[in-house]
Amino acid sequence: MSVELKLSRPNRIYRPSETLEGKIVVKAQSSISHYEIRLTVKGSVNLQVRGGSAGVVESLYGVIKPIPIVNRVIGVKSSGKIGMGTSEIPFSLNLRDKNLERFYETFHGTNISIQYLVTVDIPRGYLHKSLSATMEFIVESDKADLLQRPLSPEMVIFYITQDTQRHPLLPEIKSGGFWVTGKISTQCSLSGPISGELTVEASAVPIQSIDIQLFRVESILLGEKIVTETSLIQTTQIADGDVCRHLTLPIYVILPRLVTCPTTLAGPFSIEFKVAIVISFQSELSKLHKKSDPKTPRLWLAMETLPLELVRTKTIALKQFFVSASKLLY
Amino acid sequence: MHLEELDDPQKFSDEGVKTITWQEYVSRLHELKDEITHSWLAEDRVTSLKLSIKVNIEVAKLLMDTSAFEFYPTLFVLVTDIMDMLGNLVWLRIKQKAEFYEDGTFRCNLSESFQARDVCADAKETCYNWFSKIGAVQELLPRIYLELAILPCWCFLLDQPPDSLQRLVMMTRGIGDPVASAYCRLYMAHCAQKLPAHDIGYLVTCVNDIRVILTQILSANERTHKNVKLNKVLQVSLMEPTIEYIMKCIFNRLTQRQVNEVLSELGLMKNQEDLGSVSCVSIILHHLLKELPIEVVSSNVVQILHLIELCKDNSFGQHMNYRLLGFRLYERKSPVHIVNAVLDKVTQVIALYDSLDEYLKVVDAYIDLILQNQMDNHLNSILEGISNRAWNKGVTEDEMLSLQSLMVKLLSHFERLEDVFSLVQFPEILDVMYGKSQDVVFLHILNMTTRNDHISDPTSIQLLFEISQTLHGNIEFMNVKDDDGQVARSISRFVHMVDYGAEMEQHLAFLVDCRGAFGKLNDLKETLVHSSNSLAIQALKCAKKHPSFVKSCITFSEVTIPSISSHRQFDLFLETAEVAFLGGLVSHSDGLIDSAIRCLHALDIIDGFRTPSDAEGLVSSIRKLCGFLIIVPVPGLVKDISVIWWSGHSSTGSIGLGLKLAYNDTLYCGDSSYNQELVSLSKLVLENLLCAVQQEPSQAARGIMALEACNCIASSFMLNNELSSICLTLIETAKSCLSAKDRYLQSTIQLVNKQSPTFVGTTVSTSV
Repeated sequence: MSVELKLSRPNRIYRPSETLEGKIVVKAQSSISHYEIRLTVKGSVNLQVRGGSAGVVESLYGVIKPIPIVNRVIGVKSSGKIGMGTSEIPFSLNLRDKNLERFYETFHGTNISIQYLVTVDIPRGYLHKSLSATMEFIVESDKADLLQRPLSPEMVIFYITQDTQRHPLLPEIKSGGFWVTGKISTQCSLSGPISGELTVEASAVPIQSIDIQLFRVESILLGEKIVTETSLIQTTQIADGDVCRHLTLPIYVILPRLVTCPTTLAGPFSIEFKVAIVISFQSELSKLHKKSDPKTPRLWLAMETLPLELVRTKTIALKQFFVSASKLLY
Repeated sequence: MHLEELDDPQKFSDEGVKTITWQEYVSRLHELKDEITHSWLAEDRVTSLKLSIKVNIEVAKLLMDTSAFEFYPTLFVLVTDIMDMLGNLVWLRIKQKAEFYEDGTFRCNLSESFQARDVCADAKETCYNWFSKIGAVQELLPRIYLELAILPCWCFLLDQPPDSLQRLVMMTRGIGDPVASAYCRLYMAHCAQKLPAHDIGYLVTCVNDIRVILTQILSANERTHKNVKLNKVLQVSLMEPTIEYIMKCIFNRLTQRQVNEVLSELGLMKNQEDLGSVSCVSIILHHLLKELPIEVVSSNVVQILHLIELCKDNSFGQHMNYRLLGFRLYERKSPVHIVNAVLDKVTQVIALYDSLDEYLKVVDAYIDLILQNQMDNHLNSILEGISNRAWNKGVTEDEMLSLQSLMVKLLSHFERLEDVFSLVQFPEILDVMYGKSQDVVFLHILNMTTRNDHISDPTSIQLLFEISQTLHGNIEFMNVKDDDGQVARSISRFVHMVDYGAEMEQHLAFLVDCRGAFGKLNDLKETLVHSSNSLAIQALKCAKKHPSFVKSCITFSEVTIPSISSHRQFDLFLETAEVAFLGGLVSHSDGLIDSAIRCLHALDIIDGFRTPSDAEGLVSSIRKLCGFLIIVPVPGLVKDISVIWWSGHSSTGSIGLGLKLAYNDTLYCGDSSYNQELVSLSKLVLENLLCAVQQEPSQAARGIMALEACNCIASSFMLNNELSSICLTLIETAKSCLSAKDRYLQSTIQLVNKQSPTFVGTTVSTSV
């Protein structure tokens, strides 16, 4: 005997104004009688503090009370019997009940997790264990809520030289000097790539690698304090080895799903992003520290970190996917 | 290498690469490929895809390491093979999703030229996921390769796929290693061939980027260590195939306008009209020049020449570009003034070359042009150039090959040997040649002279004789059998062609020299015998006879024949015997015939008759002998012949021969004891004959044979009773074997009837 939930969309993405549709699939060896079958949709922001900038006392609190977003229960089928074999019970429910709720987009972070679950319950009286199944679905912002103004096409121009580094560098890097310039978009559509370009104008010490690191900054208001956790979510190499000087390299980073969401600044919490351009120089020293924390500035690294605003845009995902790609030409 | 190892790439790359042999490495890659195929065939598509993406990322990482330079191209082929397979699997997977529902029921059929809107959302989602998944690969090189592998899948998402190639080309710039990045571009060009239609702009960018990279490699002296500098040459040579392939892709089916666009994009054309003086890297220029449509080359020769002049770097020998231009110029007839201008420039440039090799490489390409346009001044100057360089420094093996090609071209251009040798430097250059190339050139000279009627100039004969001697001397060093045959044939032909005219003594002396000089050539000795025999005949024809000279010729032949292989001796003895007889040297003639018959004995004992054609040849030779014997009866020989003959074999041909033999002797030999001998011989012959006819297994053949025999008998002899009955038997045999309407049968019957009018009673009825 099993029960399963199947949603109408294979990617399980729904918008708050839309109807969540699907079917409950029950497979039974014999017919079963049941009470009213109910469907629960529950969405919440779950916050917890783990290490990071939280103090010892705060971390003791552990989980902070979640912030509810939505919690709705509907009856799908009144009490009765389900026949033997496979039965399908279709359902549909409006996600947004009244216009009061604020839906955040699904997000799975280190300290903050925004999750939407749909659960089916088939109670079968006291003598039998009730059947249930749960499934996560993904919420993306409503079209109405989307950014109305077009995405700013402007890019931030950056210069990375030995003088822009706030941490100590290896003497040969410092004295030899290097000069890397480029530009990068700091406002990005979630469905498009982070785009930009980069040129190594000069570098005395050969370059080992140039990577674009995507960071997530989760902040939670804890009493009077803000606990912030920054974590690396994706590294994308754009240069491998000592690349040609003066040749423009594209920056093209596809944003990972689920672990990113629109930049959110809510009262009790905020989710922000940062992008870092990290240049590693060839050095004997770096070989000794292969698995080092990416956030720590090292002697053989030069970096530039920029804030990144992620937004959900109206444009169809795929179009964006390449429109920004073709912008890269020269 | 299995999955566990892939899970720990560190282990794989640290221990694996260093300790395993190259063969193991290759076979492991093959294993991986098989593993993916197997799981795919086992209907486990998802596992297969998961496996393959994992494998692909790992194998692509292998391409990041170019430390094993020599193996990189092989590695590239192996890895991209797996990549292509992944691309194909993903394509099939998405197509399957588009055509079938999850539970396997049929959804729709995607035509060859389907549109993105025909593809269901589910399949699109999967496809999009693939691109996202690959986009999330951290390392640059595997990311590029994987995206290239699944590039055709864009069709599922959009009708007009994005110009990802342009972006990927730009991304490839991030690969610092020149070799790895060049091969990445190669794979790009390869993958793009699978896309329905695409712009070639990305390829032009590829070439431009490679140019920048090469320029930096070549100029990066300040940063180079010694071993790096050594590697530089290897690096460039490894990159060459990629440049070649990309150039091919660019110029594949381009219009003139597009060619101009490409050229200006490559920075080689200042405006749309002429090729400008912008710098280029010589290796790129080389492959560009190779692929440029011939019209463009013809109309821009001077500009190209200028470009070549400017491109002087270490990536590729400048002389190779001059050489290529020469070849391209020769592809189509160019105006003389252009050719002249080019040649003036080129000769000027190569005059400064110190190395014979480079000099030859260039000259080899232009020699055709020079000869075609009959630019004798250029021809002389380059021959002088070669000669000077060759005499100064000697000629290496490689140079010898170029020299050979050049000499052969020269030789094939001129009609007569005298013309070639009138070139002042030609003999000098010929002198510096050695080894195989010398042989080839000599052989050409030999063949060239023997194309004509005859060779009578003593100087030429002397030269050719010396050449032949050298060739003959080198024969045993030539391994290829056919070459030897070629040399032998050419020398024989040369000897055959030699004609001293009235100076017959000289000619004979020459033949004697030849016999001494070319001991290894059997066929040649035969030619010598023929030549000396014809010399004798010639002498006989001459107004004043030279009995002693004829005798010398005959003696020469007589002495020469025994050293020839035995199955040819017979004919030669016979031929010489005839000549001797003509010359009135009867005792010589008898002796020769004696030798001939001894030959026949020996032959039979040694060889038997190997093939039907051998037998045929022998039959005709024996016939000839018999014919000769008519003129020169030699008692006691007939039996010898017949015994040899019948003990050997019996065949269709032999019948006629046997009969003819008996017939001839019957008619012409007066000696009574001999006559008796003949009668018994004839009987023997007839018996054998009948026996042979009856034993013939094939019915049709037996019939024909019987008729032939009958014809022979009837036409050669007066038919007496005995013979008539034999004829009748034969005809009966023929009747039993052949159709009554057979014309041969009927005509034979008629002949027999005519020949034996006295035996009316036994007349064969023509109506069977």
